[in-house]
Amino acid sequence: MPRVIPRLHLVSDSRVCGLDCFSAVALAAIAAGADAVHLREKTTPAATLLSMATALREQFGDRARLFINDRIDVALASRAGGIQLGETSIPVAVARALAGPDLMIGRSVHDVEGARRAAADGADFVIAGHVFETASKHGEKGRGLQFIEMVVAGCPLPVIAIGGITPERVPEVIRAGAYGVAVISGILAAPDPDRAAWRYAEALESSG
Amino acid sequence: MADHTSFRGDRLRDALRVYVLTDRQLSRGRSEQEIVAAAISGGATAIQLRWKIGPLREAAKVGPELREMCRAAGVLFVVNDRVDLALALGADAVHLGDEDLPLAAARRIVGDDMVVGYSPATLLDAIQAPRLGADYVGVGPVYGTSTKPDAGEAVGVHRIEEVARSLSIPVVGIGGITADNAAPVIRAGAAGVAVISAVVAAEDVREATERLARAVESAASGVT
Repeated sequence: MPRVIPRLHLVSDSRVCGLDCFSAVALAAIAAGADAVHLREKTTPAATLLSMATALREQFGDRARLFINDRIDVALASRAGGIQLGETSIPVAVARALAGPDLMIGRSVHDVEGARRAAADGADFVIAGHVFETASKHGEKGRGLQFIEMVVAGCPLPVIAIGGITPERVPEVIRAGAYGVAVISGILAAPDPDRAAWRYAEALESSG
Repeated sequence: MADHTSFRGDRLRDALRVYVLTDRQLSRGRSEQEIVAAAISGGATAIQLRWKIGPLREAAKVGPELREMCRAAGVLFVVNDRVDLALALGADAVHLGDEDLPLAAARRIVGDDMVVGYSPATLLDAIQAPRLGADYVGVGPVYGTSTKPDAGEAVGVHRIEEVARSLSIPVVGIGGITADNAAPVIRAGAAGVAVISAVVAAEDVREATERLARAVESAASGVT
């Protein structure tokens, strides 16, 4: 798989769309142009996660890169394309030593300092947020476009923006310096997830 | 298969004799380092880092020190559940349960040197475990236990006997074991006993481990 950092990331949330539903939505999103899919299931047992990851990876082929959140072991065992680490996860430098050079490593950040550290420790990109208020974060106030500008200015890695980003808002997020967007409910909770994914992909395309 | 630093093979059975699991909530505010140092000085032969609450990042910080303490004492260092943490810490072993990474998948990513322990849910699981890559099994709860509320009904020493008879890999008894009731577990064929609260919740961790180790030793010498 080419080592291009993905721009449109779909992130799972079994509270919105169970793991059965997710596989169908993910395939539709990939057909629409999503190039990364994240399994982010913090309470799912590793055994279940591994079968899910293995099934998704086989379905995706090399059309999209599968990221496993937090569990480097599940990523390795499922031969996923990447891992997404949070602030409480195993540190990026340790993960990089375990994962080798081929696995892509994303780091979720909530401040510029975290983003800088992610770069120094060998991450490939950061997911920064949440930018706007979002149902996925229980109505917490967003950090705003300024936050994206700050992270972009302070960190050499590609910045993927997350949090309440609608297709209409993609252009302003990209203008703020984001390299791409990550979407949870914008696709998973959309009445027509397929159509929603197309709109995100089109918005990214036309934002350059 | 394994190089000289690996615990796989002949060294494993003895290393499983007095097996102490950490539990932050039961440790009365004492650090993992403090508990592990005391347990090792009391004769623990295996230490399992069991990280049930709190960020894994912290386990990755505490782990290297525990790892070194075990290495210096020739004690088996085990990480619970997380194969990635076990690899990151260079642990001697990883211990997996029913809902963790399956044995075969874990074995593929840990290679040949790391010991893989497994807690089978059924006798059938236990019998299949060696073929799938397990080096020892933990069986329990032998007695009633409050530490693992999800551990289910006590299975008794009878289950130890049953599993030990069916398997050639070592069996470790776990669940409600103390210095006072460890002997029947060993006599039933267990290579060792695993404890949490009997050691980590004790006021004097070192002394509690010594008592347990003595009980295991005398039961084991009575067997042979």
